[in-house]
Amino acid sequence: MQRLIDALGADAVKTEPEDLSVYSFDAYSQGRLPKAVVLPAGTLDVAAAVKIAKDCAEPIVARGAGTGLCGGAIPAQGGVVFSFARMNRLLELDARNRRARVQPGLINLELSRQTAHAGLFYAPDPSSQKTSTIGGNIGTNAGGPHCLSYGTTVNHVLGLEIVDENGDVLQTSVEDTGYDLTGVLVGSEGTLGIVCSAWVRLLKQPESVRVWLAGFPDVETASEGVSAIIGAGIVPTALEMMDHLALELIEAAFHSGYPTDAGAVLLVESAGFEDDLQTYEAEIERIVRGAGATSWRSARSQAERDALWAGRKGAFGAAGRVAPNYYLQDVVVPRTKLPRALSAVETACDSRGIKVANVFHAGDGNLHPLLMYDRSNQREAAAVIDAGNEILQAAVDLGGTISGEHGIGYEKRGSLTRIFSTGDLAAMAGVREVFDPRRMLNPEKIFPAGAGCGEVR
Amino acid sequence: MTLDELCKTVASCNSEGKTIEIQGGNTLRAFGAAPPKADVVISTTGLSALLTHEFHDLTCSTQSGLRLTSFADRLAKHAQFVPIDVPQRKKATVGGALASGWLSPRRHLYGRARDFVIGSQVLLADGTLVRAGGMVVKNVSGYDMSKLYVGSFGTLGIITQLNFKTLPQPQRRRTLIAKLPERTRTRAVAQIAASPVPPAAAFCVEGFRKSIDGEDGVDGRIVLLLEGSESLVDRATRDLRSALGRAGVPETAIIDTGAWESFERVLDATIASLGERSITYRALGLPGNALDTGTALRDAANEHELFTDVLIDIMNGDVFVRMSERDSRAFSEKIEACDDAIRKIAPRSVIAAGDAPIRESLNAWGEDPPGIAKMRALKTQFDPKGTLNRGRFAGGL
Repeated sequence: MQRLIDALGADAVKTEPEDLSVYSFDAYSQGRLPKAVVLPAGTLDVAAAVKIAKDCAEPIVARGAGTGLCGGAIPAQGGVVFSFARMNRLLELDARNRRARVQPGLINLELSRQTAHAGLFYAPDPSSQKTSTIGGNIGTNAGGPHCLSYGTTVNHVLGLEIVDENGDVLQTSVEDTGYDLTGVLVGSEGTLGIVCSAWVRLLKQPESVRVWLAGFPDVETASEGVSAIIGAGIVPTALEMMDHLALELIEAAFHSGYPTDAGAVLLVESAGFEDDLQTYEAEIERIVRGAGATSWRSARSQAERDALWAGRKGAFGAAGRVAPNYYLQDVVVPRTKLPRALSAVETACDSRGIKVANVFHAGDGNLHPLLMYDRSNQREAAAVIDAGNEILQAAVDLGGTISGEHGIGYEKRGSLTRIFSTGDLAAMAGVREVFDPRRMLNPEKIFPAGAGCGEVR
Repeated sequence: MTLDELCKTVASCNSEGKTIEIQGGNTLRAFGAAPPKADVVISTTGLSALLTHEFHDLTCSTQSGLRLTSFADRLAKHAQFVPIDVPQRKKATVGGALASGWLSPRRHLYGRARDFVIGSQVLLADGTLVRAGGMVVKNVSGYDMSKLYVGSFGTLGIITQLNFKTLPQPQRRRTLIAKLPERTRTRAVAQIAASPVPPAAAFCVEGFRKSIDGEDGVDGRIVLLLEGSESLVDRATRDLRSALGRAGVPETAIIDTGAWESFERVLDATIASLGERSITYRALGLPGNALDTGTALRDAANEHELFTDVLIDIMNGDVFVRMSERDSRAFSEKIEACDDAIRKIAPRSVIAAGDAPIRESLNAWGEDPPGIAKMRALKTQFDPKGTLNRGRFAGGL
């Protein structure tokens, strides 16, 4: 401890139990109490603290804002937690080449705010973007509603500066010769290295943005609408679905202007050139009406668009009005399998008497059923876990996957074998072996523990 | 060779300590270091099936040995595409294109080819097949291993299958070509880069007379590919023509029929070789510096009395400079002397084409990348005996 204080300064090291407790949580769960929390001020601090932790054989957990939903940021074995609250700056804006260098603690939305004056923005926009950090987003390869056309975080990271488990600094770039280390580091949930800065790609703000709202009698017809739009060769910037319960929750909390009489709605956004958007508007309306939409509305102003998005992005928080706790699942299926996946969600929840709301990235086939329950009721809590597992398996059976954007973290590490063979996992373990042979970086995450895959721990 | 035969061959070579060279369409064999002679040469071209095209889902899955043009034709039946742009598309394979990590001039608009890979199947050196990713467009389940295999030149494993997300094809395609007087160059390039409707690809060319369309003369020329809806392409045409006019560029010619072929000729030029009397260097950089880098490389070559052809990707900053001589012996001497100067300007430039024997003694991959120690450890982890494409990749990987 004293060595950490000597290296980083007393301000940058927290050891009081009440402080440590705060850093043992994320939005999913609680881990063990860490021995210390460090708040490095720069890459050199990170490197120094990693070396000390290594000497003391303490595991290391790098953490963003703790908004993760699968336990990726919890210190499963205690150790030293790295918080990037002090490394939160935009270091360099290179507007000519549309890129920026940022520290990991920079809040996602801040990056777009601080580059807006140059007509640029950062595309990945997880619902947590008001609080979540770029470093955390890189760890989970975060998505968001707009990754339908813009792609996820990995498509926007141009290079990284990381500190490895030895405390050595390593620079990577997607344009370097050699293996694409950047590509595999993004989404590795802090198990391969600690991101200390990143070059990210910025996009030019679109010339024009349109947001439309299509109401449907139920989620099945809304799913038809999704398939019809994509099948017609139109990829909107975002294509989100909300079911009836979700609409009620959102309207009660935000008064965003969603129709509460609809069985489901599609929120469709297209950004681009005015010439194209006019065509899209007519075409998408025709397609969704053909698929069974009963209402169609175009947001007329920026304020109206913002209100609709505020409701969508705040939907999960709004669930607190119905039940004290919720469990948010994250699975992906091929888009045409959405109706079957949604009916599997319904079966899994109805059969256990669980209330469920669906708010999700329909265009990507990325479901987010929100299972509501009371944690203090053990029977309810167990039922929710069962239902979650059933949904997970249903997605796998439909040719899908067990996480689209939240990550595997602590929660789903036992489920990785549902989609990968021992050989597939051994290849991943090979990468871990190179970057973190002692398994000290965010231990007990991503990979299953126990027999059969012991080598992948 | 079928997949099964491939697995058995690789497994037995690996256990017997024989080295393997992997070939797809063999179109980029002069890109980077030539592989030292291997005991066994394996071709992936037997793996040529398009496995699925789920066009309603905008996804597809293909074996790696499928030729790029066949792959594109099949997707085009449902008006879809994947932006994989490499030279010699008729011969090149999907797997080879991805394994080489070749960068598309359309990537500023659509993203890199690697960004479209949603899953893969790879044959490891010990003969085991491993899968990564899946058939969904968003996936954060475990490490994204496909990223590692793509662009690894087969040195970590042989790509046998790739799953992609696809895009709807643009409605319209057009090429604009204009002469580019030296005095207008900087302004013209700036105008194009800042254009509200960006071209899908934009090149500034000097030389490559027989390869690329348009009159060259002493001025060089500009080649723009426009893609999008009818109205957008028309708007871009108007905008770009007047922007180029303002920069002092004379007449801009429009090519509608054959616009794509015109673009393909530019792709082919990047590796167009004059046999033993030329070498082409590729330097990656930032769009804002590309003109300067191109000029610096050209000047360095000219100082060594070498001829040059220069191709600059305006939107992404890639620079290709082909250096040549009339006589192959004179060429070897001059290029050996010039190589140092080139590396000073662009330390990580890579030899992209050219058959001059002297290339053996030049470091084709340039300076080692910063992560080389980790990369070597990965190679050892995945292919401990060095069975697959040994020495083919950067830093001797």
